[in-house]
Amino acid sequence: MRPPRGRGFGRGGRGDGGGRSGGGGRGFGRGGDSGGRGGRGRGGGRTPRGRGGGRGGGRGGMKGGSKVVVVPHKHNGVFIAKAKEDALCTKNMVPGESVYGEKRISVQNEDGTKVEYRVWNPFRSKLAAAVLGGVDNIWIAPGTRVLYLGAASGTTVSHVSDIVGPTGLVYAVEFSHRSGRDLVNMAKKRTNVIPIIEDARHPARYRMLVGMVDVIFSDVAQPDQARILALNASYFLKNGGHFVISIKANCIDSTMPAEAVFASEVEKLKADQFKPSEQVTLEPFERDHACVVGGYRMPKKQKGTS
Amino acid sequence: MAEAAPIGLSWAPKLPSLPTTSGGKKDTGASSSRAQGSLWKPASELVDGLFVPPRDPRKANKLARKNVKDTSGKGWFDMPAPTITPELKKDLEILQLRHVMDPKRHFKRAGKSKALPKYFQVGTVIEPASEFFSSRLTKRERKTTLVDELLSDQHLKNYRMRKVREIQENRTPGGNQKWRNKGKKTLKRAKDRRK
Repeated sequence: MRPPRGRGFGRGGRGDGGGRSGGGGRGFGRGGDSGGRGGRGRGGGRTPRGRGGGRGGGRGGMKGGSKVVVVPHKHNGVFIAKAKEDALCTKNMVPGESVYGEKRISVQNEDGTKVEYRVWNPFRSKLAAAVLGGVDNIWIAPGTRVLYLGAASGTTVSHVSDIVGPTGLVYAVEFSHRSGRDLVNMAKKRTNVIPIIEDARHPARYRMLVGMVDVIFSDVAQPDQARILALNASYFLKNGGHFVISIKANCIDSTMPAEAVFASEVEKLKADQFKPSEQVTLEPFERDHACVVGGYRMPKKQKGTS
Repeated sequence: MAEAAPIGLSWAPKLPSLPTTSGGKKDTGASSSRAQGSLWKPASELVDGLFVPPRDPRKANKLARKNVKDTSGKGWFDMPAPTITPELKKDLEILQLRHVMDPKRHFKRAGKSKALPKYFQVGTVIEPASEFFSSRLTKRERKTTLVDELLSDQHLKNYRMRKVREIQENRTPGGNQKWRNKGKKTLKRAKDRRK
């Protein structure tokens, strides 16, 4: 049986080689990483995230030292940094630390306290892509407890940990030891992340570590990911809790059209007491991906409303 | 005296204030303007020179609510509402007008409301070490405000100058440099004005 090692492998390749979907420049979201202009000068060539065919040109805001205005986003715990470009960001739990070489934004308040934000790149995080895709509610907010399946090296997990804040909790499950090492190193500095290097197909193995959670985020690119999500939800997700699942069409059936794959996955979820409420495509950021959000064992509606 | 204490607390003995006619008049004017402040109370409302919180719970709650700092709430980690200075206001306004600054860059509309955001913070980007050569402003290029930064950008400056020139040329009547349309007044012909 092959372990669901998530995108431990694929994710690493993207980070090193330069993502395939980085071609289309958009106003929003590109700001965070305009620095990695692939193959332009020696700086561009050496950056680990150099993406082939960036914007070119000498423009590009969000350079180190530039000023930005940080405003709250629609979703709790998420912020937007506005300047010449916009970038999504989260409030850094560990000021002064950058997890995967992302830009930070340091703010000095009027009363002298310092606050720091980290730029959240939608090309590297499917949750950020879903947020920019306009999902109505991610259910991950300050103070919530989140079970994160397919944590990989912990780039998105670090942002989820920022969002839930010191009062929340993130259980990050990843099977691959290689990317799990990065995950553990990240969790050392963040008190609200509990890394679990275990197979997400067997929630019984880590049932002693995980308590009841409010939200399950699943990013395991496996053919039976709906079953994995249902198993974990039956163990850990509270009644009336929510799930967010990212579906990669190629990983489930590469012969069918993507829409058919998404529809069949949603049907599978419905059979397992999930109630999908919305689906967004992650299109400019990922190819043939969809993000489905919904509830689990939702309480019955009152009679009077009907 | 009580007037001197900034928060209405005073341990000074109760002495009648010096009978200066001009001073008394000034005091009344100053107290009315200062009474709008948070906790300052005129001496008449003090009991033995001390501030006593109102016994009515509704009033006490109102007072407590007024003294809490305005923030965006728990959902966004209590982001404060800063005091708007002219510089901050300019920064926010140029953000609203950024779609006209660069012809090559297009933005989603931020909504119909033209109100400036209430809760925001102005920060500085810190680049990671890997982008030291590729994505960093030199010390000379760094500015204190967003407006300064955008105005000092050479690419944007060229475009801006060109646009200003184009508009000016458009508005010059008859192609004569010396004739200028100075606002509404000159646009009206003398015949129309006589009506």
